[in-house]
Amino acid sequence: MHPALSSGSPTVALDRLYRDHHGWLSGWLRGRLGNAPDAADIAQDTYLRILSSGRLPVREDSRRYLVQVAKGLVIDLWRRQEVERAYREAIAHLPEAQVPSPETHWLIVDALLRIDAMLDGLPAPVREAFLLAQFQRLTLAEIAVRLDLAVITVRRHIQRALVACLVACEA
Amino acid sequence: MSPPAPHLLEEAAEWLLTLNFDDADEAQRQAFERWRAQSEAHRAAWARAERVMGTFASVPPDIAQQAVRRTGDRALSRRRTLRLLSALLVGVPGGWLALRTLPLDELGADLVTATGERRTLLLADGSQLVLNTDSALDVRFDERVRRLRLRRGEVLVTTQADPVAPRRPFVIELAHGEVEALGTRFSVRLDEARCQVAVFAHGVELRPQRGAAVRLAAGQQAWFDARGVQRFAPVDEDASLWTRGMLLAHDRPLAEVLAELGRYRPGLLRCDPAVAGLRVSGALSLDDTDQALLALERTLPIRVIHRTRYWVAVGAP
Repeated sequence: MHPALSSGSPTVALDRLYRDHHGWLSGWLRGRLGNAPDAADIAQDTYLRILSSGRLPVREDSRRYLVQVAKGLVIDLWRRQEVERAYREAIAHLPEAQVPSPETHWLIVDALLRIDAMLDGLPAPVREAFLLAQFQRLTLAEIAVRLDLAVITVRRHIQRALVACLVACEA
Repeated sequence: MSPPAPHLLEEAAEWLLTLNFDDADEAQRQAFERWRAQSEAHRAAWARAERVMGTFASVPPDIAQQAVRRTGDRALSRRRTLRLLSALLVGVPGGWLALRTLPLDELGADLVTATGERRTLLLADGSQLVLNTDSALDVRFDERVRRLRLRRGEVLVTTQADPVAPRRPFVIELAHGEVEALGTRFSVRLDEARCQVAVFAHGVELRPQRGAAVRLAAGQQAWFDARGVQRFAPVDEDASLWTRGMLLAHDRPLAEVLAELGRYRPGLLRCDPAVAGLRVSGALSLDDTDQALLALERTLPIRVIHRTRYWVAVGAP
Protein backbone atom coordinates (compact mmCIF):
# COMPACT_ATOMS: atom_id res chain seq x y z
CA MET A 1 0.00 0.00 0.00
CA HIS A 2 1.25 3.45 -0.80
CA PRO A 3 0.93 6.19 1.74
CA ALA A 4 -0.24 9.42 0.14
CA LEU A 5 3.09 11.12 0.06
CA SER A 6 2.62 14.81 -0.31
CA SER A 7 4.90 16.71 -2.39
CA GLY A 8 7.40 19.29 -1.50
CA SER A 9 6.89 22.89 -0.60
CA PRO A 10 3.60 24.83 -0.55
CA THR A 11 4.72 27.02 -3.46
CA VAL A 12 5.38 24.01 -5.64
CA ALA A 13 1.98 22.57 -4.83
CA LEU A 14 0.19 25.84 -5.51
CA ASP A 15 2.12 26.26 -8.71
CA ARG A 16 1.00 22.82 -9.85
CA LEU A 17 -2.59 23.65 -8.96
CA TYR A 18 -2.26 26.73 -11.15
CA ARG A 19 -0.62 25.06 -14.12
CA ASP A 20 -2.95 22.08 -14.12
CA HIS A 21 -6.26 23.83 -13.68
CA HIS A 22 -6.12 27.59 -14.29
CA GLY A 23 -7.10 27.29 -17.97
CA TRP A 24 -9.91 24.90 -17.16
CA LEU A 25 -11.23 27.13 -14.36
CA SER A 26 -11.22 30.25 -16.56
CA GLY A 27 -13.13 28.36 -19.23
CA TRP A 28 -15.63 27.06 -16.70
CA LEU A 29 -16.24 30.57 -15.36
CA ARG A 30 -16.57 32.08 -18.84
CA GLY A 31 -19.22 29.49 -19.62
CA ARG A 32 -21.15 30.28 -16.45
CA LEU A 33 -20.82 34.06 -16.36
CA GLY A 34 -20.87 34.76 -20.07
CA ASN A 35 -18.40 37.56 -19.37
CA ALA A 36 -14.72 37.08 -20.12
CA PRO A 37 -13.21 39.93 -18.04
CA ASP A 38 -15.18 38.93 -14.91
CA ALA A 39 -14.25 35.30 -15.49
CA ALA A 40 -10.55 36.13 -15.77
CA ASP A 41 -10.67 38.28 -12.61
CA ILE A 42 -12.44 35.64 -10.63
CA ALA A 43 -10.12 32.86 -11.77
CA GLN A 44 -7.19 34.99 -10.61
CA ASP A 45 -8.89 35.87 -7.32
CA THR A 46 -9.63 32.19 -6.73
CA TYR A 47 -5.93 31.38 -6.58
CA LEU A 48 -5.23 34.43 -4.44
CA ARG A 49 -7.94 33.37 -2.04
CA ILE A 50 -6.52 29.86 -1.82
CA LEU A 51 -3.03 31.21 -1.25
CA SER A 52 -4.17 33.49 1.57
CA SER A 53 -6.40 30.81 3.11
CA GLY A 54 -3.32 28.69 3.72
CA ARG A 55 -5.13 25.53 2.66
CA LEU A 56 -4.73 23.50 -0.48
CA PRO A 57 -7.12 20.84 -1.75
CA VAL A 58 -5.95 17.24 -1.81
CA ARG A 59 -5.19 16.33 -5.37
CA GLU A 60 -8.32 14.37 -6.25
CA ASP A 61 -10.47 17.29 -5.10
CA SER A 62 -8.58 20.04 -6.93
CA ARG A 63 -11.23 21.03 -9.45
CA ARG A 64 -14.16 20.71 -7.14
CA TYR A 65 -12.33 22.84 -4.60
CA LEU A 66 -11.43 25.49 -7.16
CA VAL A 67 -15.06 25.60 -8.25
CA GLN A 68 -16.22 25.91 -4.66
CA VAL A 69 -13.91 28.85 -3.98
CA ALA A 70 -14.73 30.44 -7.35
CA LYS A 71 -18.44 30.12 -6.69
CA GLY A 72 -17.94 31.92 -3.40
CA LEU A 73 -16.26 34.75 -5.29
CA VAL A 74 -19.01 34.86 -7.89
CA ILE A 75 -21.48 35.18 -5.07
CA ASP A 76 -19.37 37.96 -3.55
CA LEU A 77 -19.41 39.78 -6.87
CA TRP A 78 -23.16 39.44 -7.26
CA ARG A 79 -23.65 40.44 -3.69
CA ARG A 80 -21.57 43.58 -4.11
CA GLN A 81 -23.51 44.52 -7.23
CA GLU A 82 -26.74 43.91 -5.39
CA VAL A 83 -25.73 45.92 -2.34
CA GLU A 84 -24.59 48.77 -4.56
CA ARG A 85 -27.94 48.73 -6.30
CA ALA A 86 -29.81 48.66 -2.97
CA TYR A 87 -27.69 51.56 -1.78
CA ARG A 88 -28.42 53.62 -4.88
CA GLU A 89 -32.11 52.93 -4.48
CA ALA A 90 -32.00 53.88 -0.81
CA ILE A 91 -30.35 57.25 -1.47
CA ALA A 92 -32.59 57.99 -4.46
CA HIS A 93 -35.41 58.96 -2.11
CA LEU A 94 -33.31 61.16 0.16
CA PRO A 95 -33.26 64.95 0.05
CA GLU A 96 -30.00 66.04 -1.49
CA ALA A 97 -28.63 67.40 1.78
CA GLN A 98 -28.83 63.93 3.34
CA VAL A 99 -27.12 62.06 0.53
CA PRO A 100 -23.62 61.05 1.64
CA SER A 101 -20.80 62.62 -0.32
CA PRO A 102 -19.50 60.53 -3.25
CA GLU A 103 -16.17 59.96 -1.49
CA THR A 104 -17.91 58.08 1.31
CA HIS A 105 -20.01 55.90 -1.02
CA TRP A 106 -17.61 53.02 -1.15
CA LEU A 107 -17.07 53.11 2.62
CA ILE A 108 -20.79 52.82 3.13
CA VAL A 109 -21.20 50.09 0.52
CA ASP A 110 -18.37 48.24 2.22
CA ALA A 111 -20.06 48.48 5.59
CA LEU A 112 -23.38 47.46 4.04
CA LEU A 113 -21.72 44.40 2.56
CA ARG A 114 -20.42 43.42 5.94
CA ILE A 115 -23.83 43.98 7.51
CA ASP A 116 -25.50 41.98 4.77
CA ALA A 117 -23.08 39.12 5.33
CA MET A 118 -23.63 39.19 9.10
CA LEU A 119 -27.39 39.05 8.75
CA ASP A 120 -27.40 36.57 5.90
CA GLY A 121 -29.48 33.47 6.41
CA LEU A 122 -31.53 34.85 9.29
CA PRO A 123 -35.28 34.41 8.98
CA ALA A 124 -37.20 37.53 7.93
CA PRO A 125 -38.84 38.24 11.32
CA VAL A 126 -35.48 38.01 13.10
CA ARG A 127 -33.92 40.39 10.62
CA GLU A 128 -36.80 42.82 10.76
CA ALA A 129 -36.87 42.92 14.57
CA PHE A 130 -33.18 43.57 14.58
CA LEU A 131 -33.34 46.33 11.95
CA LEU A 132 -36.08 48.13 13.87
CA ALA A 133 -34.06 47.98 17.07
CA GLN A 134 -30.69 48.83 15.59
CA PHE A 135 -31.56 51.47 13.01
CA GLN A 136 -34.87 52.88 14.10
CA ARG A 137 -34.00 52.66 17.79
CA LEU A 138 -37.46 51.35 18.65
CA THR A 139 -37.80 49.77 22.08
CA LEU A 140 -38.48 46.07 22.43
CA ALA A 141 -42.08 46.86 23.40
CA GLU A 142 -42.58 49.06 20.33
CA ILE A 143 -41.19 46.40 18.05
CA ALA A 144 -43.42 43.81 19.67
CA VAL A 145 -46.48 45.92 18.81
CA ARG A 146 -45.26 46.67 15.31
CA LEU A 147 -44.55 43.01 14.46
CA ASP A 148 -47.36 41.58 16.54
CA LEU A 149 -45.04 39.41 18.60
CA ALA A 150 -44.46 38.87 22.31
CA VAL A 151 -41.73 41.10 23.79
CA ILE A 152 -39.83 38.00 24.87
CA THR A 153 -39.87 36.76 21.26
CA VAL A 154 -38.58 40.09 19.99
CA ARG A 155 -35.78 39.95 22.51
CA ARG A 156 -34.90 36.41 21.47
CA HIS A 157 -34.88 37.44 17.79
CA ILE A 158 -32.52 40.31 18.48
CA GLN A 159 -30.29 38.11 20.60
CA ARG A 160 -30.13 35.61 17.75
CA ALA A 161 -29.26 38.31 15.22
CA LEU A 162 -26.50 39.65 17.48
CA VAL A 163 -25.00 36.20 17.96
CA ALA A 164 -25.04 35.70 14.20
CA CYS A 165 -23.26 39.05 13.77
CA LEU A 166 -20.62 38.20 16.34
CA VAL A 167 -19.97 34.79 14.82
CA ALA A 168 -19.78 36.18 11.30
CA CYS A 169 -17.71 39.24 12.16
CA GLU A 170 -14.18 38.66 11.02
CA ALA A 171 -11.30 39.39 13.27
CA MET B 1 -5.47 34.73 17.27
CA SER B 2 -8.16 32.09 17.32
CA PRO B 3 -11.76 33.32 17.43
CA PRO B 4 -13.39 33.65 20.85
CA ALA B 5 -15.24 30.58 22.11
CA PRO B 6 -18.88 30.39 20.98
CA HIS B 7 -20.27 30.67 24.50
CA LEU B 8 -18.33 33.91 25.03
CA LEU B 9 -19.79 35.33 21.84
CA GLU B 10 -23.24 34.44 23.06
CA GLU B 11 -22.56 36.10 26.39
CA ALA B 12 -21.21 39.16 24.61
CA ALA B 13 -24.37 39.28 22.48
CA GLU B 14 -26.47 39.08 25.63
CA TRP B 15 -24.54 42.02 27.10
CA LEU B 16 -24.97 44.03 23.89
CA LEU B 17 -28.65 43.42 24.18
CA THR B 18 -28.77 44.38 27.84
CA LEU B 19 -26.69 47.52 27.41
CA ASN B 20 -28.10 48.73 24.08
CA PHE B 21 -31.70 47.62 23.92
CA ASP B 22 -32.82 47.02 27.50
CA ASP B 23 -32.76 49.71 30.14
CA ALA B 24 -29.60 48.68 31.90
CA ASP B 25 -29.23 49.99 35.44
CA GLU B 26 -26.07 50.73 37.37
CA ALA B 27 -25.93 47.25 38.90
CA GLN B 28 -26.09 45.67 35.45
CA ARG B 29 -23.36 47.95 34.18
CA GLN B 30 -21.15 46.88 37.05
CA ALA B 31 -21.98 43.25 36.39
CA PHE B 32 -20.97 43.79 32.79
CA GLU B 33 -17.64 45.31 33.81
CA ARG B 34 -16.96 42.30 36.02
CA TRP B 35 -17.84 39.98 33.14
CA ARG B 36 -15.53 41.75 30.75
CA ALA B 37 -12.67 41.89 33.22
CA GLN B 38 -12.68 38.13 33.74
CA SER B 39 -10.11 37.22 31.13
CA GLU B 40 -8.34 38.16 27.93
CA ALA B 41 -10.84 35.97 26.04
CA HIS B 42 -13.77 37.90 27.50
CA ARG B 43 -12.19 41.18 26.47
CA ALA B 44 -11.55 39.80 22.98
CA ALA B 45 -15.19 38.72 22.66
CA TRP B 46 -16.29 42.19 23.68
CA ALA B 47 -13.86 43.82 21.26
CA ARG B 48 -15.60 41.88 18.52
CA ALA B 49 -18.98 43.08 19.78
CA GLU B 50 -17.72 46.64 19.58
CA ARG B 51 -16.47 46.07 16.06
CA VAL B 52 -19.91 44.84 15.03
CA MET B 53 -21.57 47.88 16.54
CA GLY B 54 -18.99 50.10 14.88
CA THR B 55 -19.90 48.64 11.50
CA PHE B 56 -23.57 49.39 12.10
CA ALA B 57 -22.75 52.89 13.25
CA SER B 58 -20.73 53.65 10.13
CA VAL B 59 -23.84 53.73 7.93
CA PRO B 60 -26.52 56.43 8.22
CA PRO B 61 -29.43 54.56 9.88
CA ASP B 62 -32.14 55.26 7.32
CA ILE B 63 -29.93 54.25 4.42
CA ALA B 64 -28.84 51.13 6.23
CA GLN B 65 -32.34 50.07 7.08
CA GLN B 66 -33.65 50.52 3.55
CA ALA B 67 -30.68 48.98 1.81
CA VAL B 68 -30.52 45.97 4.13
CA ARG B 69 -34.25 45.38 3.71
CA ARG B 70 -33.87 45.40 -0.05
CA THR B 71 -30.97 42.95 -0.04
CA GLY B 72 -32.92 40.76 2.39
CA ASP B 73 -35.86 40.63 0.01
CA ARG B 74 -33.55 39.64 -2.75
CA ALA B 75 -31.71 37.01 -0.75
CA LEU B 76 -34.39 34.51 -1.64
CA SER B 77 -34.10 34.99 -5.37
CA ARG B 78 -30.36 34.99 -5.00
CA ARG B 79 -30.45 31.57 -3.37
CA ARG B 80 -32.60 30.29 -6.19
CA THR B 81 -30.00 31.53 -8.66
CA LEU B 82 -27.30 29.81 -6.66
CA ARG B 83 -29.12 26.52 -6.74
CA LEU B 84 -29.30 26.92 -10.49
CA LEU B 85 -25.59 27.58 -10.58
CA SER B 86 -24.96 24.41 -8.58
CA ALA B 87 -27.25 22.46 -10.87
CA LEU B 88 -25.09 23.56 -13.76
CA LEU B 89 -22.10 21.85 -12.21
CA VAL B 90 -22.25 18.92 -14.57
CA GLY B 91 -19.29 16.62 -14.30
CA VAL B 92 -18.32 17.88 -10.89
CA PRO B 93 -20.26 15.53 -8.64
CA GLY B 94 -20.20 15.17 -4.92
CA GLY B 95 -21.10 17.17 -1.89
CA TRP B 96 -19.90 20.56 -0.89
CA LEU B 97 -18.89 19.28 2.51
CA ALA B 98 -16.89 16.39 1.20
CA LEU B 99 -14.04 18.50 -0.11
CA ARG B 100 -10.82 17.90 1.65
CA THR B 101 -8.18 20.51 2.20
CA LEU B 102 -4.91 20.48 4.06
CA PRO B 103 -3.13 23.28 5.85
CA LEU B 104 -0.22 24.46 3.73
CA ASP B 105 2.28 24.10 6.53
CA GLU B 106 1.47 20.44 6.84
CA LEU B 107 2.16 19.62 3.26
CA GLY B 108 5.55 18.57 4.52
CA ALA B 109 4.01 15.76 6.59
CA ASP B 110 4.23 12.26 5.15
CA LEU B 111 0.70 11.23 5.91
CA VAL B 112 -2.28 13.49 6.30
CA THR B 113 -6.02 13.10 6.59
CA ALA B 114 -8.63 15.81 6.16
CA THR B 115 -11.55 16.42 8.52
CA GLY B 116 -13.89 13.44 8.26
CA GLU B 117 -11.31 11.28 6.50
CA ARG B 118 -9.78 8.06 7.81
CA ARG B 119 -6.91 6.19 6.27
CA THR B 120 -5.38 2.74 6.84
CA LEU B 121 -1.72 2.22 5.99
CA LEU B 122 0.88 -0.51 6.11
CA LEU B 123 4.41 0.47 7.00
CA ALA B 124 7.57 -1.08 5.63
CA ASP B 125 7.95 -3.36 8.68
CA GLY B 126 4.39 -4.72 8.37
CA SER B 127 2.99 -2.55 11.16
CA GLN B 128 -0.44 -1.13 10.49
CA LEU B 129 -1.60 2.44 11.08
CA VAL B 130 -5.10 3.83 11.06
CA LEU B 131 -4.97 7.61 10.85
CA ASN B 132 -8.10 9.30 12.15
CA THR B 133 -9.79 12.53 11.04
CA ASP B 134 -7.73 15.73 10.68
CA SER B 135 -4.36 14.14 11.48
CA ALA B 136 -0.79 14.51 10.28
CA LEU B 137 2.08 12.11 10.80
CA ASP B 138 5.68 11.63 9.66
CA VAL B 139 7.32 8.24 9.22
CA ARG B 140 11.03 8.27 10.04
CA PHE B 141 12.45 4.75 10.00
CA ASP B 142 16.21 4.34 10.07
CA GLU B 143 18.66 1.59 10.93
CA ARG B 144 18.38 2.17 14.68
CA VAL B 145 14.77 3.12 15.32
CA ARG B 146 11.30 2.90 13.79
CA ARG B 147 10.09 6.38 14.54
CA LEU B 148 6.76 8.08 13.83
CA ARG B 149 6.03 11.69 14.60
CA LEU B 150 2.40 12.55 15.25
CA ARG B 151 1.96 16.23 14.47
CA ARG B 152 -1.78 16.42 14.83
CA GLY B 153 -4.80 14.22 15.41
CA GLU B 154 -5.00 10.55 16.29
CA VAL B 155 -3.51 7.26 15.18
CA LEU B 156 -4.09 3.61 16.04
CA VAL B 157 -0.96 1.52 15.76
CA THR B 158 -0.69 -2.28 15.49
CA THR B 159 2.98 -3.09 15.52
CA GLN B 160 4.67 -6.18 14.09
CA ALA B 161 7.89 -7.79 15.16
CA ASP B 162 10.66 -5.98 13.34
CA PRO B 163 11.91 -7.98 10.34
CA VAL B 164 15.25 -6.22 10.67
CA ALA B 165 17.81 -7.57 13.15
CA PRO B 166 18.75 -6.43 15.66
CA ARG B 167 15.19 -5.45 16.52
CA ARG B 168 14.63 -1.70 16.37
CA PRO B 169 12.42 0.02 18.92
CA PHE B 170 9.10 1.45 17.70
CA VAL B 171 8.64 5.00 18.98
CA ILE B 172 6.00 7.67 18.46
CA GLU B 173 7.24 11.17 19.01
CA LEU B 174 4.84 13.85 20.23
CA ALA B 175 4.94 17.47 21.25
CA HIS B 176 4.90 16.45 24.92
CA GLY B 177 7.22 13.46 24.90
CA GLU B 178 7.29 10.02 23.35
CA VAL B 179 5.59 6.64 23.49
CA GLU B 180 7.45 3.39 22.94
CA ALA B 181 5.55 0.30 21.81
CA LEU B 182 6.34 -2.93 23.65
CA GLY B 183 4.82 -5.32 21.07
CA THR B 184 1.34 -4.02 20.90
CA ARG B 185 -1.87 -2.36 19.70
CA PHE B 186 -2.52 1.12 21.00
CA SER B 187 -3.80 4.51 20.01
CA VAL B 188 -2.33 7.94 20.49
CA ARG B 189 -4.36 11.11 20.33
CA LEU B 190 -2.99 14.62 20.41
CA ASP B 191 -5.05 17.48 21.74
CA GLU B 192 -3.93 21.06 22.06
CA ALA B 193 -2.72 20.74 25.61
CA ARG B 194 -2.01 17.06 26.10
CA CYS B 195 -1.79 13.61 24.72
CA GLN B 196 -3.96 10.58 25.33
CA VAL B 197 -2.66 7.03 24.99
CA ALA B 198 -4.93 3.96 25.12
CA VAL B 199 -3.51 0.45 25.10
CA PHE B 200 -5.56 -2.46 23.67
CA ALA B 201 -2.91 -5.22 23.73
CA HIS B 202 0.41 -5.72 25.52
CA GLY B 203 1.87 -2.46 26.73
CA VAL B 204 3.63 0.81 26.03
CA GLU B 205 6.03 3.06 27.83
CA LEU B 206 5.17 6.77 28.12
CA ARG B 207 8.07 9.15 28.37
CA PRO B 208 6.90 12.69 29.07
CA GLN B 209 9.52 15.29 28.16
CA ARG B 210 10.33 16.26 31.73
CA GLY B 211 8.43 13.74 33.87
CA ALA B 212 9.13 10.17 34.88
CA ALA B 213 8.56 7.32 32.42
CA VAL B 214 5.44 5.21 33.04
CA ARG B 215 4.38 1.79 31.74
CA LEU B 216 0.80 1.27 30.59
CA ALA B 217 -0.67 -2.21 30.20
CA ALA B 218 -3.53 -3.44 28.01
CA GLY B 219 -6.87 -2.05 29.15
CA GLN B 220 -5.35 1.15 30.48
CA GLN B 221 -5.27 4.67 29.16
CA ALA B 222 -3.51 7.77 30.34
CA TRP B 223 -3.26 11.46 29.60
CA PHE B 224 0.07 13.22 29.76
CA ASP B 225 1.78 16.47 28.91
CA ALA B 226 5.42 17.55 29.00
CA ARG B 227 5.48 17.58 32.81
CA GLY B 228 4.17 14.08 33.29
CA VAL B 229 1.19 11.76 33.44
CA GLN B 230 -1.93 13.51 34.72
CA ARG B 231 -4.57 10.81 34.83
CA PHE B 232 -5.17 7.09 34.36
CA ALA B 233 -8.41 5.35 33.45
CA PRO B 234 -9.52 1.94 32.21
CA VAL B 235 -10.20 1.58 28.50
CA ASP B 236 -12.04 -1.07 26.49
CA GLU B 237 -11.96 -2.18 22.88
CA ASP B 238 -14.90 0.10 22.04
CA ALA B 239 -12.59 3.08 22.25
CA SER B 240 -10.99 1.97 18.97
CA LEU B 241 -14.29 1.67 17.09
CA TRP B 242 -13.55 4.93 15.28
CA THR B 243 -11.31 2.84 13.06
CA ARG B 244 -14.57 1.42 11.71
CA GLY B 245 -16.34 4.76 11.54
CA MET B 246 -18.36 4.24 14.67
CA LEU B 247 -18.71 5.96 18.00
CA LEU B 248 -20.13 3.80 20.76
CA ALA B 249 -21.43 5.74 23.74
CA HIS B 250 -22.24 4.17 27.09
CA ASP B 251 -24.14 6.64 29.22
CA ARG B 252 -22.00 9.61 28.19
CA PRO B 253 -23.03 13.27 28.54
CA LEU B 254 -24.35 14.76 25.28
CA ALA B 255 -21.78 17.57 25.37
CA GLU B 256 -18.95 15.02 25.29
CA VAL B 257 -20.51 13.06 22.46
CA LEU B 258 -21.04 16.24 20.41
CA ALA B 259 -17.47 17.36 21.04
CA GLU B 260 -16.37 14.00 19.66
CA LEU B 261 -18.64 14.25 16.60
CA GLY B 262 -17.34 17.77 16.03
CA ARG B 263 -13.89 16.38 15.26
CA TYR B 264 -15.31 14.65 12.21
CA ARG B 265 -17.09 17.60 10.61
CA PRO B 266 -15.94 21.05 9.53
CA GLY B 267 -17.49 24.11 11.14
CA LEU B 268 -19.04 24.76 14.50
CA LEU B 269 -21.10 22.21 16.43
CA ARG B 270 -22.49 23.87 19.52
CA CYS B 271 -24.22 22.33 22.51
CA ASP B 272 -26.62 24.38 24.61
CA PRO B 273 -25.72 24.00 28.33
CA ALA B 274 -29.41 23.21 28.97
CA VAL B 275 -29.04 19.84 27.26
CA ALA B 276 -25.31 19.26 27.78
CA GLY B 277 -25.90 16.82 30.62
CA LEU B 278 -28.37 14.51 28.84
CA ARG B 279 -27.08 10.95 28.83
CA VAL B 280 -26.39 9.24 25.54
CA SER B 281 -26.10 5.52 24.91
CA GLY B 282 -25.83 3.91 21.51
CA ALA B 283 -23.87 3.68 18.30
CA LEU B 284 -23.37 6.72 16.09
CA SER B 285 -21.87 7.01 12.64
CA LEU B 286 -18.66 9.03 12.41
CA ASP B 287 -18.60 8.70 8.63
CA ASP B 288 -21.93 10.50 8.30
CA THR B 289 -22.21 12.97 11.17
CA ASP B 290 -25.44 14.47 9.78
CA GLN B 291 -26.94 11.01 10.19
CA ALA B 292 -25.51 10.82 13.72
CA LEU B 293 -27.12 14.15 14.65
CA LEU B 294 -30.41 12.95 13.20
CA ALA B 295 -30.18 9.79 15.31
CA LEU B 296 -29.55 11.87 18.45
CA GLU B 297 -32.49 14.11 17.62
CA ARG B 298 -34.76 11.10 17.28
CA THR B 299 -33.80 9.56 20.61
CA LEU B 300 -33.27 12.58 22.87
CA PRO B 301 -35.43 15.56 23.84
CA ILE B 302 -33.31 17.93 21.76
CA ARG B 303 -33.53 20.02 18.62
CA VAL B 304 -30.76 20.27 16.06
CA ILE B 305 -30.72 23.66 14.37
CA HIS B 306 -28.75 24.01 11.16
CA ARG B 307 -28.14 27.74 11.19
CA THR B 308 -25.76 27.49 8.30
CA ARG B 309 -23.96 24.55 6.75
CA TYR B 310 -21.04 25.15 9.09
CA TRP B 311 -22.89 26.22 12.17
CA VAL B 312 -25.07 23.66 13.87
CA ALA B 313 -26.54 24.23 17.32
CA VAL B 314 -28.05 21.55 19.52
CA GLY B 315 -30.54 22.81 22.07
CA ALA B 316 -33.77 22.12 23.91
CA PRO B 317 -36.80 21.45 21.70
